[in-house]
Amino acid sequence: MDLIERYLAAIRRNLPADKAADVTAELREDLFSRIDEREGGLGRSLDKNELSAVIKDSGHPLVVASRYRQQQQLIGAETYPFFIFTLKLVLLIVGAIILIAAVAAMAFGGADPWQAIPRAVGQLAMYSLVNGGAVTLAFAILDRNGFAAEHIRKWKPETLPDLGEERRGKWEGPLEVALTIAFLLWWTGLVSPEFRPGGANFRMEAAPVWQQLYLPILILALARLVHNVIQWLRPRWKTARLILGAATAIGALALLPVLYSAGEWARIVPIGMPADAAMGLQNSLNLALRIAIIAVGVIWLIACLGELWRLGRAARERAV
Amino acid sequence: MPIEDDLFDKLRIELRRGALSLGVLLALREERYGYTLRQELEDGGLPIEEGALYPLLRRLETQGLLTSEWREEGRNKRFYRLSEDGERVLAQLLQEWNAISQSIVRLSEGNK
Repeated sequence: MDLIERYLAAIRRNLPADKAADVTAELREDLFSRIDEREGGLGRSLDKNELSAVIKDSGHPLVVASRYRQQQQLIGAETYPFFIFTLKLVLLIVGAIILIAAVAAMAFGGADPWQAIPRAVGQLAMYSLVNGGAVTLAFAILDRNGFAAEHIRKWKPETLPDLGEERRGKWEGPLEVALTIAFLLWWTGLVSPEFRPGGANFRMEAAPVWQQLYLPILILALARLVHNVIQWLRPRWKTARLILGAATAIGALALLPVLYSAGEWARIVPIGMPADAAMGLQNSLNLALRIAIIAVGVIWLIACLGELWRLGRAARERAV
Repeated sequence: MPIEDDLFDKLRIELRRGALSLGVLLALREERYGYTLRQELEDGGLPIEEGALYPLLRRLETQGLLTSEWREEGRNKRFYRLSEDGERVLAQLLQEWNAISQSIVRLSEGNK
């Protein structure tokens, strides 16, 4: 009978304290009833193995005890689709940011691929685990608070995206968000990948104009992040999306003349390189950047006109 | 085919899950304790593991459909029976069960 008491004690340890005594008393009675029945049938007491078999039939103590708990699963069936959708998105963004940082470090920072790739894989594993764990914990809490039922109750079919929006690639939205987050992390210095452009005998540095424009570019990138998130997850918020799209395009256009008028965007600091060669390299580099700024300006102007046209069309549609 | 057997088992468990609660409520129109209730269900063609029965009894009691009391009868046993609310809900569930059964019969006849 020692085995029965050990079995019941193992169940009891995993039961809610308020019902532990009551439940184990009932399970004890059931076990003895079954033993009585078996012994009645055999006409003798059960041996050790037969007793063990009866107990085993009752189930593993953890499983038996878990059935008395209200919460049977970490994330219920109703919440699971929202959880898995969010988990995929978060892992996708984490993966994209790490990939972008690794590619940038190899392409522009001169990082050794044999070191950069294993480091990126390690970061991917670590950040996926941490973010996956955080999402799981958040949804376990939401599940207990009836999030899914409430969300489904409030959901309206009218919030579904237009078919035109659906034509955007599946990964376009998350990729835009990931790229903007990656840029913000780098711009604010929160993440500093190995990004030290230069060569064997010189170092490349940003010109002071970038420091002067630090805050406007930060605000612009944050506004663009909000725009990208809306475009991806709430495409029906057309007005907010179009206003933000137009505002960021106009903001970027307004910054360009300030940036262009600086005349110098990169500096070459010689490390053993002759001064005149460094100056020549700096001039060539700034000429290339001048052309790039003009090209970007033209592209942004077209984008800005496009955003304003869409905003005007949306206003006309609302008026009709 | 093992996969088909597995699929059938899953569907069968889903189908029986709701029926078990109804079976327990029906059997408890007469007062019983856990072991005799399980025997009654097994004799009636609805076998249930004790690991599933006792938590189900707790849940039905918490929902107000059963009442229980501990009584000395050879050993100390917990007896369950249907409460007044339980009788009312059982009548509704039986109606629902009959409606489902008739629907299934109609659908299966329609496919012949």
